[in-house]
Amino acid sequence: MVVFTFWDWLWLILYIVVMVFSGVLFYTLGKRSESDFFLAGRGLPWWLPASSVYATHTATDTPIWMSGVIYQHGLAGIWYSFFAAWCAVSAYVSTRIFRRSLAYSQAEWQTLRFSGLGSELLRGWLAGWQIYMNMMILGWVGMAMGKVCHYAFGWQEWVGLVLFSSICAIYVLAAGYWGVVIADFQQGIVVFLGILIVSVWGVYEAGGPAGIVGRLSEMGQSWRLNPFHFTGWFTGDFPAAWFVTMLFIALLGGIGMGTTLDWYVEAQRIQSARSVRDASYSIWAGTALVLTRNSLWAACILGFFVLNPGIANLDDYEMAWFRVGFEMLPPGMVGFFFAAIVAIHLSTVASILNLGALYATRDLYQHYINPHASERRLVWVGRFSTLLVLLGSFLYGSMMQKNITEWLIFAIWIMAAGVWLPNVLQVIWWRFNSWGYLSSWIANLGLSWLVVWILPKAGVLPQLPDYAQFWLLMALGLVIYVPVTFLTRPDEMDHLVRYYVQSRPLGFWGPIKREAERRGLIRAVTEGV
Amino acid sequence: MPLFRKQWTAHEADEWTKEDFWACVFSSLSYVFLMIGLALCFLFPLWGILITLIGVVFVWLMYATIDPKLRQISSDYEIKQKEYLKNLDKIMKWEEQ
Repeated sequence: MVVFTFWDWLWLILYIVVMVFSGVLFYTLGKRSESDFFLAGRGLPWWLPASSVYATHTATDTPIWMSGVIYQHGLAGIWYSFFAAWCAVSAYVSTRIFRRSLAYSQAEWQTLRFSGLGSELLRGWLAGWQIYMNMMILGWVGMAMGKVCHYAFGWQEWVGLVLFSSICAIYVLAAGYWGVVIADFQQGIVVFLGILIVSVWGVYEAGGPAGIVGRLSEMGQSWRLNPFHFTGWFTGDFPAAWFVTMLFIALLGGIGMGTTLDWYVEAQRIQSARSVRDASYSIWAGTALVLTRNSLWAACILGFFVLNPGIANLDDYEMAWFRVGFEMLPPGMVGFFFAAIVAIHLSTVASILNLGALYATRDLYQHYINPHASERRLVWVGRFSTLLVLLGSFLYGSMMQKNITEWLIFAIWIMAAGVWLPNVLQVIWWRFNSWGYLSSWIANLGLSWLVVWILPKAGVLPQLPDYAQFWLLMALGLVIYVPVTFLTRPDEMDHLVRYYVQSRPLGFWGPIKREAERRGLIRAVTEGV
Repeated sequence: MPLFRKQWTAHEADEWTKEDFWACVFSSLSYVFLMIGLALCFLFPLWGILITLIGVVFVWLMYATIDPKLRQISSDYEIKQKEYLKNLDKIMKWEEQ
């Protein structure tokens, strides 16, 4: 149990008041229009969406997850977080294409890229799926906060889940994305300072760089310092085959849209940037901060390992970074640390609440129920949707008492495996149509559960490592959506030409490009690849 | 002649070129070096600083390679954006498919 002094309480209360107040301050801007409530009027300089990318992807469950993989695999565990590197490529490929489409959301993009009934089905499906996923993400992030509060104060887990998400909802309901992005900026600063102070403190307590290296050597654990320590090509719990698969997914995934769950958050930030250039730099810089933040955590967890080796229980060593903060910081600083945890938590909750509400408002209510709704009404529907997503997250959170890491790994890459390639194909290949893409989603929903849970339980399939599950799901999906694509008609030429001229996608768009040139909509350029 | 172009016309910037490819390569390498370098700063400071600095060089290369092109794309696109937004609104209201 952590005991707060007067200064600890002061830090915490002051911080929460300032943060909620600064978010609510933007009430007037947020209520002006749908574009303001969800995209801050598409006018942000690159550093604001960048700080939002960073703050959003620094969630309460992230240090739990990072602590788990670093404690288990040493410095090499940092590669688990390198999935975020899809932004290295996306910043200059899919970000550029998506920003030019001007779609509010990935669901809306489907109707710009594809045509006809298939595109509308895709929009409805993606909107519904995103509302569900955002509730689920909020649920697991909220439960992680519940777990931290239980560890620190002995509260029941649901208290941490409900209390802080509800505080956050105040400024999201009031100011929408304006509140989110402004609060994210100041939360990003507090979070970075918090992580830096706690991590440097943890390294210092473990004896500094020389102390950590020396102790690991004495313990015969020097391999933990090697970022490329694998347990074999295909053997052990950290094989090189996993590393190669991860690089493939992360880097080539940047060409596509939706190749990771994070894309849907980034898509909103991309559209809120004031230009294509600002969008590219915001995604690149936000992710650079995410990756360097992981480095600070990794060093700190290695320090924790030196001080506390031999913890066998995952639930215990997953709390490593929080233990460093609560147990090692001096009195008076613990409140600042907890304020940083609150900032970590709220920055994610705010973004996900607003994102879920965007899909409900723009893609379901406005597009299918009331296309001529006034801006004022749309803002109110946005607020109502925010509230629904919040309540849904409490429900999902209460269902996820254990195994946060297991849920995360399943959601992040197994659930995305079967649609990973279609997510790339929809960007780079003109002939890939809405029916092919839709069939890949339907197939993947069934196949991922079959390959990961059902068939191994029934003894039909051995329990495969997660990287092997990825390749298997990708291959099984191909067998379904490629024939579906060729057996159905291509999208309408007029629709594809309009999309091509506006977005200028990369890849196999030859027939569409030639048609656009023939119509005089674009000019042929001799140089280029 | 510079390795990467500094001057672009609007039509040329819309094409995918070697500058885009190299920006992605430098960007990916900068992530790797910055992430590993910063972690090593707390464990083997000399190596850590050296690797981090290499990461910074890759960031600069990425910027030098892609920024002139991105500036041109942005300035050209912003002229057309208003018209595109009107079309988006029409699609939303089912006035255009």
